[in-house]
Amino acid sequence: MKNKRFNLFLIVVIALVSLWSLWPTWRDYTFSKQLDSFGTTQDSLKYVLSHRDEIEDARKKSLKLGLDLKGGIHLVMEVDQVDLFEQKAWNKDAKFTALMQNVRANAAKSDARVIDLIVAEFKKENIRLSRYFYDIRNSDQEIISKLEKESEDALSRAKEIIRNRIDQYGVAEPVITTQGSRKIIIELPGVSDETRVKNLLKGTAKLEFRLLREPEVLVRTLETINAHLAQNSSAPQPAVQSVDSLAAKVETTPAAPPAPNVATQPAKPVSANPLYDLISVAPDGTAYTTAQSRELVLALLQRGDVQALLPMDTELLLAAKPENGRDTQKLYVIYLVKKTSELTGGVITEAKATFGAEGVQPEVLMSMNSEGTSKWARVTGANIGKRIAIVLDGAVYSAPVVQSKIPSGNSVINGIESLEEAKDLEIVLKAGALPAPVRITEERTVGPSLGADYIRAGIQSLLWAFLAVSVFMLLYYKKAGIAANIALVLNILIVLSVLAGFNASLSLPGIAGIVLTIGMAVDANVLIYERVREELSAGKSLGSAITQGYDRAFSSIFDSHVTTLSAAFLLYTYGIGPIQGFAVTLMIGTSASLFTAIVVTKEIFNFLLSKKLMSEKSFG
Amino acid sequence: MRIFQKTKFDFIRYRKIAYGISLVLLLAGMVSLAVKGLNYGIDFRGGSEVVIRFEKQVDVAQIRSVLDAAGVSGTLKQYGMDRSFLLSTVFDGDTAQLKTLVTNALHEKIKGNVHEIVRIDAVGPSIASDLKWSALKALLASLAAILLYVGIRFELKFATAGVLAIFHDIFVVLGMFSFLGGMFPFMPLEMDQSIIAAFLTIAGYSITDTVVVYDRIRERIQGQKPSEYERIFNESMNQTLSRTIITSGTVLLSVFVLFIFAGPAIRGFAFAVFSGVLIGTYSSIFVAAPIVYDWLRLTKSSVRLSSNKAA
Repeated sequence: MKNKRFNLFLIVVIALVSLWSLWPTWRDYTFSKQLDSFGTTQDSLKYVLSHRDEIEDARKKSLKLGLDLKGGIHLVMEVDQVDLFEQKAWNKDAKFTALMQNVRANAAKSDARVIDLIVAEFKKENIRLSRYFYDIRNSDQEIISKLEKESEDALSRAKEIIRNRIDQYGVAEPVITTQGSRKIIIELPGVSDETRVKNLLKGTAKLEFRLLREPEVLVRTLETINAHLAQNSSAPQPAVQSVDSLAAKVETTPAAPPAPNVATQPAKPVSANPLYDLISVAPDGTAYTTAQSRELVLALLQRGDVQALLPMDTELLLAAKPENGRDTQKLYVIYLVKKTSELTGGVITEAKATFGAEGVQPEVLMSMNSEGTSKWARVTGANIGKRIAIVLDGAVYSAPVVQSKIPSGNSVINGIESLEEAKDLEIVLKAGALPAPVRITEERTVGPSLGADYIRAGIQSLLWAFLAVSVFMLLYYKKAGIAANIALVLNILIVLSVLAGFNASLSLPGIAGIVLTIGMAVDANVLIYERVREELSAGKSLGSAITQGYDRAFSSIFDSHVTTLSAAFLLYTYGIGPIQGFAVTLMIGTSASLFTAIVVTKEIFNFLLSKKLMSEKSFG
Repeated sequence: MRIFQKTKFDFIRYRKIAYGISLVLLLAGMVSLAVKGLNYGIDFRGGSEVVIRFEKQVDVAQIRSVLDAAGVSGTLKQYGMDRSFLLSTVFDGDTAQLKTLVTNALHEKIKGNVHEIVRIDAVGPSIASDLKWSALKALLASLAAILLYVGIRFELKFATAGVLAIFHDIFVVLGMFSFLGGMFPFMPLEMDQSIIAAFLTIAGYSITDTVVVYDRIRERIQGQKPSEYERIFNESMNQTLSRTIITSGTVLLSVFVLFIFAGPAIRGFAFAVFSGVLIGTYSSIFVAAPIVYDWLRLTKSSVRLSSNKAA
């Protein structure tokens, strides 16, 4: 008797807790209904102000919808750890470059830790890590643990920086997590301008101040490269190949119709001045290329043989933004800058997007910390009359001439197209530079209208599945079917309340899991009822038939629940994103049905039996 | 209401015919897998997919020519929603560019019919190979777990036959996916993550069904002579037949609802589970238990199952 009372108590408690946990969801729903019903925005604003705390509280505790239902972006970004380790190496000879190239190729194919790939590659060649990393006296093991630490740090730092950028951009409830050794998962619900957000996330935001070499050096260098390309008959070959691979890219920029020189170049014989087909030099020593040839020039500058021709410690960089040349042609200026930077973005403490002196050109004002300020004063003081390029992620924004020593630690980036872009620059500069480049490796975007469709589809599926299964149970098992249906309702309530209570979100696959649970949860009742029918037809009394039915069916129910649960659990463990949502609801639903289908229905029958409301006919 | 009450089907006698049917299904599936292969979705192959929805009805050929002219590479197909199309193309890390290109071209060329890009999925090659591995791991681990659990709760023979039945079910469904893949525009039957979820669901369902039959056999077989086994197996299957049919009925009902209402993203999954439940119901009666029976008969061993109480 005591035991029975405990069961009843348990059922009441669970039902109440479920309802309590879903109460904020209901409140949230009624609030938004209420707000929709107001005719004017003024009315609704007044309502929001007077009920602010309640509304916010309800929203915070209500059942969250997944990105697919709400609309939003799910991004997986990979931190380029190969690049990170390359930065860490102090000795980068040809052997090292070749090894790292293999590592890069392997890393693209698998999810293994990059450090493991490096170690494997070095082992294969029988080279000690200390030849390239840290101190020559370090053992491999010491270096591995140091590099491991570096890579962990880089990942968490990258995560924090990305979080900063997103926070400053202003997205409600972003979820940012790391996965494995090099992935960052970013979930942004309800973002409308995904292109802008992605641009904000992509850049490394590595800001550098670099000295420009004299125009004569640039002109001389270009001459050397040109001579090298013209002389080396095999030289145009890679360039032609890159034309093929670039053709697709060129096509994807609608603003630029395929330039004639790009299209015709493969067919042309080796030109006398291959470089000057792509680059022009003005009389004042400024070199520039057209928008159409930009990709080709970039590819050319990446080539090892071309880089070998540059003067010591220099690099050729392109402007970030085009300038307008004659006939509205877009021209990118080419700069020869020192490879070592005078100052990096690490010293920047504050950035602010504004309009420049004339009030039309957007720019970003920056201020530096004390260390940066004194360094900046020294650099500017020592280089009066020279040009210093402001380089962000390998592209030159501007290269002003130093007029005088700057003691204040202020600097400005101009050459920005729009205020929006200036604002984005402000965000990434404030958040700091990423330790290594990041790449988007997976993206799933659902527009809000499709999300609304999914919600409608999900609700319809839930209703129809519940209706179909419960009507069937009623028809087939009569009164006992009612007990099974009550259990089913409680089961769905429990699934939703657990999701709401644990702040998990409901996605479309999650709804599919609930729908499937509706079909499978009644299995326990079917097993019991069939058994009760058997016992009844064997001539047992109603009371003992029910007891026997529950007892004997339990073993099957238990086994089948364990197997379903283990399959769902493994799906959860190995699955990602959407599939985990399915596995979670299936797991909760299956576990809950162990309680609802057995304990709840048994209590209902006990109650009905005690009130003499059941007969042999009650099981259909 | 009662269906399948007090049936007396001689399942064991006709098991050879069932073996034949299963073999034919499996072989047909294998042939289709070998010849036609599987239709991999971007989860496993990598690539980008864009779903474009128009306000009014529009011809797929017209959009195709507009996109071709704009230099968008890839294939365009009707998508399983009204006035919607699916553009699949390669993964290049930047879908923003692709989106601008598509939007501009459609905006310019197809006037008076507003379009919206409602979904973008892009999966890089490294992620795709990760997903493939974890899918395989999940499947194998769940089979191992089931083998272990059923092996402990019953006997290794029972467990092995149960896992064989799961293999049977998954391979038949896989064969169907290969054979029917790409045949229906409203349901491309691509292999993606959701299909792996479907396979694990099928595995769980199939073993549940099998365990219920096993459980009944265990309950009745204690202390019986091997000569009685045929009768006991048959009677156990007949006694659980009603439950088997009813439960598969309710699951099929709810999965059918998913297929109809839940939209194209869930349709492949619903189809897989639907056919898997059908096959799984069949296999628990005609594959799993008969294999145990034959195994016992051929090895002339008897069942030593004792406890029928749950742990």
